[in-house]
Amino acid sequence: MPLYVYSIIAAAHPCRLDGLTGVGTEPAPVRAVTAGRLRAVVSDVDEEIRPRRRDLAVHQEVQDRLMTDGTVLPLQFGYTAPDDQAVTQVLLEHEDGYLEALERLRGCAEYQVKASQDEDALLREILHESDRARQLNDRIRGGDPDPRLPLELGELVAAEVGERREGLAAGLVQSLVPLARDHSVRAPADGDILNISLLVHDDDKNAFLEAEARLTEQVEDVEFRFNGPLPPYSFV
Amino acid sequence: MTVVPQSGSNVSRSTGGGTSSLYDVLELILDRGLVIDVFVRVSLVGIEILKIDARIVVASVDTYLRFAEACNRLDLEAGRKAPTQLTDVVGNAVESGARGKSKGAISGVVDAVTQSLSGSSDDDEEQEEPEEAAEEEEAPRRRRPARRTARRERE
Repeated sequence: MPLYVYSIIAAAHPCRLDGLTGVGTEPAPVRAVTAGRLRAVVSDVDEEIRPRRRDLAVHQEVQDRLMTDGTVLPLQFGYTAPDDQAVTQVLLEHEDGYLEALERLRGCAEYQVKASQDEDALLREILHESDRARQLNDRIRGGDPDPRLPLELGELVAAEVGERREGLAAGLVQSLVPLARDHSVRAPADGDILNISLLVHDDDKNAFLEAEARLTEQVEDVEFRFNGPLPPYSFV
Repeated sequence: MTVVPQSGSNVSRSTGGGTSSLYDVLELILDRGLVIDVFVRVSLVGIEILKIDARIVVASVDTYLRFAEACNRLDLEAGRKAPTQLTDVVGNAVESGARGKSKGAISGVVDAVTQSLSGSSDDDEEQEEPEEAAEEEEAPRRRRPARRTARRERE
């Protein structure tokens, strides 16, 4: 029977899977396939799995459970193997690589930081600091119908917005990165200025959380969204 | 799973798993994580089709006009605060860092998740449940519709 594969862990991992059920409309219990020094955490599936909300949540729930007891290599959502034998074969073939990754990630978790900036506040700041922008804005508001004015104002402001957001994001990255073993910057989603994943060791966890807290206190007009500790999706 | 507001309104923290952190970590679940080539990956059609290289672009007439309009209707004095005090946190990083970089570089791939979850008109059945998630998760994000107009533009 086909298997949905969630994670790879060391055979020495306690692997408490009691009570966990897997993906699919008729979820099977989550179980392990052991081979050599590794284990794959799987569940049987007899249907096509789709990225439904429940299934995505189950995928994550399995990682969370495993993470509480040790290091986990989380798979991307959606991988299925034809049978137990295929899983065993992969574990044996790639044993060294997976063990190495597990060792590298030991004691670490991923922390995700996203930030968005209040646009009105940023525009006010730009108008306050740029004489030319303020002048153009005043003329437009005063009723000057020259169609070039909004274009010039917009171009100027757009450039400032881009530069300031980028500068802010770079500053935020530099304030967080020193506390992480590794990091990965992703393109921010629409409206955001920052999307970064950081690999933080448990030893540095408190310092990292303090740094996050400092950012929220000291950086105005920026809304932060912190997630973590998470399984190290970005660092496997 | 909890989202606990801390020290004012500009932060949310999600710890551990559970559905309320799902929205922001979806991109990790879908795009990151270990890949095993010999295994088959299920179809993510409903999500990937919306993974557009959407650049939030700064160099287009539409964008200029939107910014100009936003400035024109701004109440200049209300709520004006001192400039962001990032330097307290990071020293001179900002000055030496990205100030001089190229303009308008807030760009790149908008993540699959945000795209697919916030898309409103798609009737693809794959989307039904993720959208449901989006409705719950988006409220605290306080996105403003005005920003979305920039997404149409490409560099």
